[in-house]
Amino acid sequence: MSKPRVAFFDFSSCEGCQLQIANLEEEILDLISLVDVVSFREVMKEHSDEYDIAFVEGSIMRPIDERRLRKIRKHAKIVVALGACATIGGINKIRNQWPVENVKKEVYGSEHLEDNDYFDVFPTKALNEVVPVDFYIHGCPINYDEFKHVVTSLALGKKPDIPTYPVCVECKKNENICLFELGKFCLGPITRAGCKAICPTNGSPCDGCRGILKKPNTDCVQDILDRYHLTYEEMKSRCVLYNYSKEECK
Amino acid sequence: MAPLPTIKIISKRELNVFIDNLIQKSKSEVIGVKAKGERYVFAPLTDASELCLNYDVTILPPKKYFLPQYEPLMNYDLKKPFKVEKNLQDFSRILIGVHPYDIIALEQSDKVYLDPQKDDFYDQRRKNTIIIGADIQKVSKRSFAASMNTHITDSGFDLLLTNIGSHYAITIGSEKGKKLLEKYASTKIATEDDRKKIEKTRESIVSNYKKKVKVEKEQWSSTLVANYDHALWEEKSDRCLGCSSCTMVCPTCYCYDIKDDVTFSLKDGTRIRTWDGCLLHDFTKISSGEVFRDDIRDRYRHRFYRKGNYLPARYDFVACVGCGRCGIACLPDIADPCDVLNELSHLDYTDGTHKFFIEQKKKPTAVQGTIHLPRSATIQQVKRLTESEIYLQIELDDKKPLGHSPGQFVEISLFGIGEAPISISSAPGTSPLFELVVRKVGNVTSKLFTMKKGDKVGIRGPFGNGFTIKDFENKHLLFVLGGLGLPPMRSLINYILDKKNRQHFKDVTILYGCKQPCQVLFLDEIKKWQKMENVVCKLTVDQCEKNECWAGEVGLITTLFPEIKIDKSTIQDTMAIVIGPPIMYKFVIKCLQTLGVPDTNIFVSLERRMKCGVGKCGHCQINGVYVCREGPVFKYNDIKNLPEAFE
Repeated sequence: MSKPRVAFFDFSSCEGCQLQIANLEEEILDLISLVDVVSFREVMKEHSDEYDIAFVEGSIMRPIDERRLRKIRKHAKIVVALGACATIGGINKIRNQWPVENVKKEVYGSEHLEDNDYFDVFPTKALNEVVPVDFYIHGCPINYDEFKHVVTSLALGKKPDIPTYPVCVECKKNENICLFELGKFCLGPITRAGCKAICPTNGSPCDGCRGILKKPNTDCVQDILDRYHLTYEEMKSRCVLYNYSKEECK
Repeated sequence: MAPLPTIKIISKRELNVFIDNLIQKSKSEVIGVKAKGERYVFAPLTDASELCLNYDVTILPPKKYFLPQYEPLMNYDLKKPFKVEKNLQDFSRILIGVHPYDIIALEQSDKVYLDPQKDDFYDQRRKNTIIIGADIQKVSKRSFAASMNTHITDSGFDLLLTNIGSHYAITIGSEKGKKLLEKYASTKIATEDDRKKIEKTRESIVSNYKKKVKVEKEQWSSTLVANYDHALWEEKSDRCLGCSSCTMVCPTCYCYDIKDDVTFSLKDGTRIRTWDGCLLHDFTKISSGEVFRDDIRDRYRHRFYRKGNYLPARYDFVACVGCGRCGIACLPDIADPCDVLNELSHLDYTDGTHKFFIEQKKKPTAVQGTIHLPRSATIQQVKRLTESEIYLQIELDDKKPLGHSPGQFVEISLFGIGEAPISISSAPGTSPLFELVVRKVGNVTSKLFTMKKGDKVGIRGPFGNGFTIKDFENKHLLFVLGGLGLPPMRSLINYILDKKNRQHFKDVTILYGCKQPCQVLFLDEIKKWQKMENVVCKLTVDQCEKNECWAGEVGLITTLFPEIKIDKSTIQDTMAIVIGPPIMYKFVIKCLQTLGVPDTNIFVSLERRMKCGVGKCGHCQINGVYVCREGPVFKYNDIKNLPEAFE
């Protein structure tokens, strides 16, 4: 069996998730023993449009992005969304709170940007709002153990095992003091696990970068706020950071 | 009366010397209770001064040292045909400061993990760990241990420390404890006065418990039986996050999941056991996508019934020790059994009609050796049956027969991928060869589709209880089989229809339904059956494309019932065997009852998420019944009143 050909692409993002992969250092040799990397702007000059698996980082902001993503989808057998910007829209969705025109004006002032494709923006979309996505590597940034898990799973022909349970499970296993007990609002209870609860374990509340669980029960939110003397505003500001469009977070 | 335990007295200064000696000289890893912020944890000690014996409760119970959060069970080499090594490492450990309720919880886990199918990883940890308990000095505000009588214990420790003011008393609980003390501590023998002080200390702590359960421990079970359909479960679970924090921090929760993890180079991998929780949505999910406890109410309720009814009936203990950790951990504060039982105690209730158990007549087959390690086996034949099903003939490499009965299953194991439970479809016998029919639904079964003759697989089992041929002798037999229900019954049918055996059975009727004609399995054999005397065999498919060639009926399996003629006089003598997808049972059983087949004459084989095969991991439970141990074959009459069986 020939090695699958892999390409990396980026849209609106900090490209930090690809950097996580570049940070694999000597393990990158294991990666290239499993797959042929044909395109990876951060680490190589060459590029090819012949690939089986596309890892795509970033959010979709403009019609030209959409066209490019569709082209990638056409070339690739498997599309993997890489990181929060790609999987859920993430931080880039904060701007969806305001009309696009206002955002443009705020950023570019009165510059004349009409008829320029580069500045023709629409409200931020995650990849799956444009094309079907096969697998997701969540997080901001991605956790490279999970990246390795996804790559090895695809190489072995199995479906990657991405947790469907909340961060609390991993947080409890780490024996952390619950941040609610410390008076902090944490999104761990409704956020998809897989990060090994890295933020709460280091004392920082979960911001929900891996996305909100499928059917979170939010009926108890008020009880929890009351029990731990937290405010609604505090909760909302935390929800907006990565999950602006999610109804559950409003 | 048991003899009084030996009790020694040690000064607080000498106790520190004892602990430091253990840390420095004992060659054991010394774990004790340490402060973590405002709370406490069990963690390695580097100095006696770190040890806190006046703690209230630790965040996690000491179960993490016996069933670790992430536990490598075995390592394997993916480049070699079947190279696997059990990951049992030798070590010795001393646990200091374990409260009585946690000691009792460990004794409960012993019953589950050491009997009757020993878990050798747990066993080794238990054997290599010395427990130095500590009587409670400060009561956790959520604890109700005094109501559960778990605030004190007279067993389960090697040594037990009690603060009696100026000194600590040390109760000796084992020979190991005694030796440890002799070697590393300087103590005095306790006086009668010291013994009285211990008693007084233990008695006085009771009044510090603010939380009390109004339902006696012995009454938990009947209280729960009576309230299975109570609105409380719905009301409380409406606020449940389904995060399973309650089970993670519980000292008596022991359910687990097993995952395969391979290195980036794909050269080697590890099979890892990790904590699972029955409150999590996917806890009961099987590869085909079915989730057996989909509703949060059912998952929420399940936990309380496990604690208060299912485990007490099986092992004779209430699986709650009143530590109160779940009450602390649950954000909406709905997990505390003390609160729930107290609410139920106010209610007037009528006697429940539900049954949560079956009378256990058959013992599960004992598995030899380690319960996790698969045996090496080789695929001898692969046949594509349909688009989505293959037939595998497998031989155990030790050339021993599998030793199964019809209806039992094996866990087929592919390193790097995982395990899947598959029914055995060949007849029992002396050959080391056996057969499986596999449908492509999950990771393991999809991978099996790519495998060929000579490839290695791992086999665990056979597990569970199958059919007993004696039950069918001199009876008319009616098989109702849906989809993959045929393969496990094929061996039994072929046995019955064999010339040598045919005389022992009366008329045989076989109804078999599939989704589409292309999914019909073993058509050649079916055609042979159809030609036999005193055999009626009818086929149906749910749907048939216009261009497909199909001679049978079109419609659900229930449409075949009007076509069969069973003499009213023989109905009491008819045994019905029903195997199919979960959805099928409800409708087929109704048809059988309409025909007049008594419930005691109906046999079913149920599908659930079977992971361990030995009644430990918790996934396959139907109320108090473990499908992997008591089933998968059941008499319908035995399980019809189990609320979760045919929901």
